[in-house]
Amino acid sequence: MSEEHGQRREIRSAVAYQKLMGRYYAGAKSAGKDGRKVAWITSGGPVELLHCFDVIPVYPENHGAMCGATRMSVPLCEVAEERGFSRDLCSYARGDIGSAITKGGPIGGLPRPDMLICCTNICGTVLKWYEELSRLFGCPLFILDTPFVRGTSSEHAIAYVEEQMREYVAFLETHTGKRFDEALFEEVAAKSIRSISLWREILACSEHRPAPMNCFDAFIHMAPVVTLRGTDEINVYYEQLLAEMRERVQAGISAVPEERHRLLWDNIPIWYEMSALSGLLASLGACLVADTYTSAWTFEQVDVADPMRTFALAYTEIFLNVNLERMVDKAVALAERYSAGGMIMHSNRSCKPYSLGQYDNAKAFTRRTGLPVLILEADHTDSRQYGRAQAEERIRAFVETLV
Amino acid sequence: MKLEAAETLRSFSAMWEDPYVAVAARAAERGERPIGYLCSYAPEEILHAAGFTPVRIIGAERTITRADSHLQTYCCSLARTTLDLALARELDFLEGAVFVQTCDTMQRLSDIWRLNTRFRFHGDVVLPARMGEPAAERYIVAELRAFRKRIEEYVGAEVPDSAIAGSIAVYNHNRDLCERLYSLSGIALTGTEVLSAVMAGMWMRKEEHSAMLERLLAGLSGETRPPSGSRVPLVVSGSLCGSPDFVRMVEELGAIVVDDDLCCGHRAIEGRAPETGDPVEGLARRLSERPACPAKHSAARSRPDDLAVRVKGSGARGVIFYLQHFCDPHAFDYPSLRQRLSEDGIPTLLVEWEHQAPCTGQMRTRVEAFLEMVRGT
Ligand code: SF4
Ligand code: SF4
Repeated sequence: MSEEHGQRREIRSAVAYQKLMGRYYAGAKSAGKDGRKVAWITSGGPVELLHCFDVIPVYPENHGAMCGATRMSVPLCEVAEERGFSRDLCSYARGDIGSAITKGGPIGGLPRPDMLICCTNICGTVLKWYEELSRLFGCPLFILDTPFVRGTSSEHAIAYVEEQMREYVAFLETHTGKRFDEALFEEVAAKSIRSISLWREILACSEHRPAPMNCFDAFIHMAPVVTLRGTDEINVYYEQLLAEMRERVQAGISAVPEERHRLLWDNIPIWYEMSALSGLLASLGACLVADTYTSAWTFEQVDVADPMRTFALAYTEIFLNVNLERMVDKAVALAERYSAGGMIMHSNRSCKPYSLGQYDNAKAFTRRTGLPVLILEADHTDSRQYGRAQAEERIRAFVETLV
Repeated sequence: MKLEAAETLRSFSAMWEDPYVAVAARAAERGERPIGYLCSYAPEEILHAAGFTPVRIIGAERTITRADSHLQTYCCSLARTTLDLALARELDFLEGAVFVQTCDTMQRLSDIWRLNTRFRFHGDVVLPARMGEPAAERYIVAELRAFRKRIEEYVGAEVPDSAIAGSIAVYNHNRDLCERLYSLSGIALTGTEVLSAVMAGMWMRKEEHSAMLERLLAGLSGETRPPSGSRVPLVVSGSLCGSPDFVRMVEELGAIVVDDDLCCGHRAIEGRAPETGDPVEGLARRLSERPACPAKHSAARSRPDDLAVRVKGSGARGVIFYLQHFCDPHAFDYPSLRQRLSEDGIPTLLVEWEHQAPCTGQMRTRVEAFLEMVRGT
């Protein structure tokens, strides 16, 4: 064992990951020079069409995660707070508004958008946030409105979203001056579905005991599936990562030295605490084998023959846009597939659609699986809302009770 | 003011102080069938046409005991105290509740409520976020038809078009009367009185409320109170007021609330459903075209401009934003509203509140200082 006790094992493909994301951000930042347009898009938004129109997608949430991980969010949030945005609003939104104004953050802010694409399937916050961005940048805003789903989507909801997918195409035609190429769309859609299934296979490697990677790895390596799905580069990269994970499975290499406990994670990571939490859990022999967050980018139903409808449905039924029972079903299924022994839920002050209902979900999860749940209150990027000592003590105590 | 008018006004504000007792009493005594709703986008006319009395649930001033094991403390107090009331079985007079998808909190509250309470009826109406557009309006029509079907199954009888059309007329007439009250704000009525009278209608059969308003308006005709003199004309903007206390306090301190931009006040009565044609389509038209609430998006209308027009039209010299803690949609709108008003030279004050602490001494001091400042401008 070459790693020190208590350390997460580094993934070799991380180098390729750095290169991929570096190239992507460099390309986005020099977009204006080669005449390509930039769109800011929400993490649950249909990015495939942007690729068809050669528009560079940029994700404020992914940028927010970067700001959080580099502990640069708080001053950016404060800029928005001085402008009157309440400290209780989602810190991705606050940080992004702050960065849009000051160009602050690890990469000097995001490139100025030519258009904004907001899909409401993750929350109502993005609607308000993107309205503010369109005021700030004075650029066109397209909203893809995906009605909340209880049970299964109604026919009229799917029809409504499908109609908006066509509006989205028209919006892109207007703002890029290009014609929609259906054949190209089918090609991109197929690649996107490939990206998504590769990602699913990568995550599935952790069903193996010991798990070859853990959620802290997944939180990082998910960035491409969020930002670049539907492109060739990402598929090449994910094939490499998948091969490495399969190799690890073969060789019995684990993410966490001495994996004794397998746990699930619920909600967005606490970005500024990634290394502290990862070190703590590794030292306790606990591996986060799966989570509800990174697996959100693994659509189940896809029909390549009818991509518009497929995407309308898939984007409407993503994890945050469904009722609580469906959320519990998913956690229970993860627990079974990944042989988990418990779950840590991050009650995230920033994210109401993810967090409200967790108390009930935790009880239902325990009732159905017999497994314990720990709920930790924090915020995904605003570290002012976090008490490290207390959280670590609770995690230790929780892991001790696991059999 | 005539005695009868004064008494009517007193009964309205008593209703606002404690709405649920009165609703429960009428359910017990007269067999009214109340169904609760939490958002002004609820299709009340369909409920009314089916024989129910739609009543608005606005939470309550109380110490939370039961809801804390279901909702985090960073959730708004409307959701927390309402759930607490339901879990404590203090809303058992309701036959059920209807949840309209407005904000993220409401969306989740509906599920939590359904899983933890045992009301006979539970309704969800998932409205679009985009308003004022044909595709969204067609979607609303379909969603309202599905809701009507749910209601029909529940009551075991058809709710005919004619009944819905009748309810539309009742509601439109009531909204017209409320509009007339607003036109008397600062002339014959204080803001507290207008708001009490409008809000009382949320807990009564509209026919009965309209009859009371008609008598009240007749009694007030021609009446003016002594000119408001040095009273500072203000507009209050926000989601809802849990009790008359805040507006009353503001007026006691020397202001006169000449208009409001509240979800439970003037904004709730805006828009009229057409009274001819398909009634469900008419209801959808109103929901789609009324000035969008902060949780909705409208490409055609601008909330900052709408508010600026309202302030100018009312002659207000300042605006108080009375916002609930942890209410995302309103908190997101606040900076742009404030900015727009400052362009018109209108000073503003932000007061954040929650049901657990509706009116504090500190709020009083801040309002006092604000009024002082506005007087000086
Ligand atoms: S509220 Fe939640 S889903 Fe919405 S932007 Fe913030 S973190 Fe993302
Ligand atoms: S709109 Fe605001 S006050 Fe109303 S339920 Fe949502 S968060 Fe609470």
